[in-house]
Amino acid sequence: MASLALLTWTFVWLSFLCVGGGLGVIPEMERQAVTVHRWLSAREFVDGYTLAQLTPGPNMLIAVFVGDRAHGLLGALLAGLAMFAPTSVLAIVVSHHWQQWRRRPWAVIAERALVPVGVGLMAGGVYTLGRTAIHDLTTAALAALAALAVATDRVPPVLAILSAGLIGWLLWR
Amino acid sequence: MRQVSLLRLIVVFAWTGISSLGGGRSAYFHEALVRRRRLISHDEFVQDFTLSQVLPGPNFSNLAVVLGYRLAGFAGGFWGLLAVVVPGALILLAAGALYAGGAFGATAALLMRGLSAGVVGLVAVTSLRIVHGSLRGLRAVVVALLTFVAVGPLRLPTVAVVLVMVAVSVALQWGAGAGAAAGPLATDSAAGSALPDEEA
Repeated sequence: MASLALLTWTFVWLSFLCVGGGLGVIPEMERQAVTVHRWLSAREFVDGYTLAQLTPGPNMLIAVFVGDRAHGLLGALLAGLAMFAPTSVLAIVVSHHWQQWRRRPWAVIAERALVPVGVGLMAGGVYTLGRTAIHDLTTAALAALAALAVATDRVPPVLAILSAGLIGWLLWR
Repeated sequence: MRQVSLLRLIVVFAWTGISSLGGGRSAYFHEALVRRRRLISHDEFVQDFTLSQVLPGPNFSNLAVVLGYRLAGFAGGFWGLLAVVVPGALILLAAGALYAGGAFGATAALLMRGLSAGVVGLVAVTSLRIVHGSLRGLRAVVVALLTFVAVGPLRLPTVAVVLVMVAVSVALQWGAGAGAAAGPLATDSAAGSALPDEEA
């Protein structure tokens, strides 16, 4: 019980750290799930993010994956609810009032102030995933290859990722 | 706000959620609601998109909630959220069960190494695109850089970093934007020109 409550509470406050993109919360989520609570290994965490990226829906479904690894289906349900429900209530409340608020000076300043912090957190997310996923020249080359493919805008992201997986497998098997 | 039937909303949102694989997920909503079905205008979409980025929380689900609210009120927000989250959650749980059950043997473990390297390449590009479109001025660059170093290489707790950096950032923007603050949201035009990819 206590550990389920801890899992739920952790994802509630993590959800409010998703500022300007879910990727921004990845450094802290990894710290909590891997280092602090040991719900799963760093490798499993990166694999979970990869699966969440390859399956449909928001990438923050990684919460469901972590919850499942920590406490099975109930853990998955609670982590998912914790990640999506509270911030969605906030979104609907703000959305309800936003027409009147959005042009006020404090709203403009708040937005301008939050954007760079969100960008920094997001870059931290890329770094955190890379720290585990990129450990030699081959994985670095595969990441660069996928990045180049995506940057052309002609290769669907899923295809770029699957190709990196396939090339890696052919090289390592 | 206009009224779209809940059933139609659920079908459209669920399909958008299921088909939004890989990256550029908000762009799928733009395609589905603005370009293909003309349920909302481009300007309305950009406004909702900006809001979903600024609000805390996974921003793909935020966008679904805000768009759902615009289309069908509170019920629209609720069902819009469920429609984009639940199918993906079930699919991920199935994949997670295979992963835990050892179906990811030695072969799949090697495959995952390449796949996760590929994911890093993807998120690096999509993040760079957002950085490119959203950082204006030296102050913003400095704030973003300090935040990155703190949570990335230094592995400092994000809560503390966010509290400090938001305070610093507000102070800097307050100093910089006294004159310019009267205009509409600055990111409207940026988000409208090229919907940046966000990975939530």
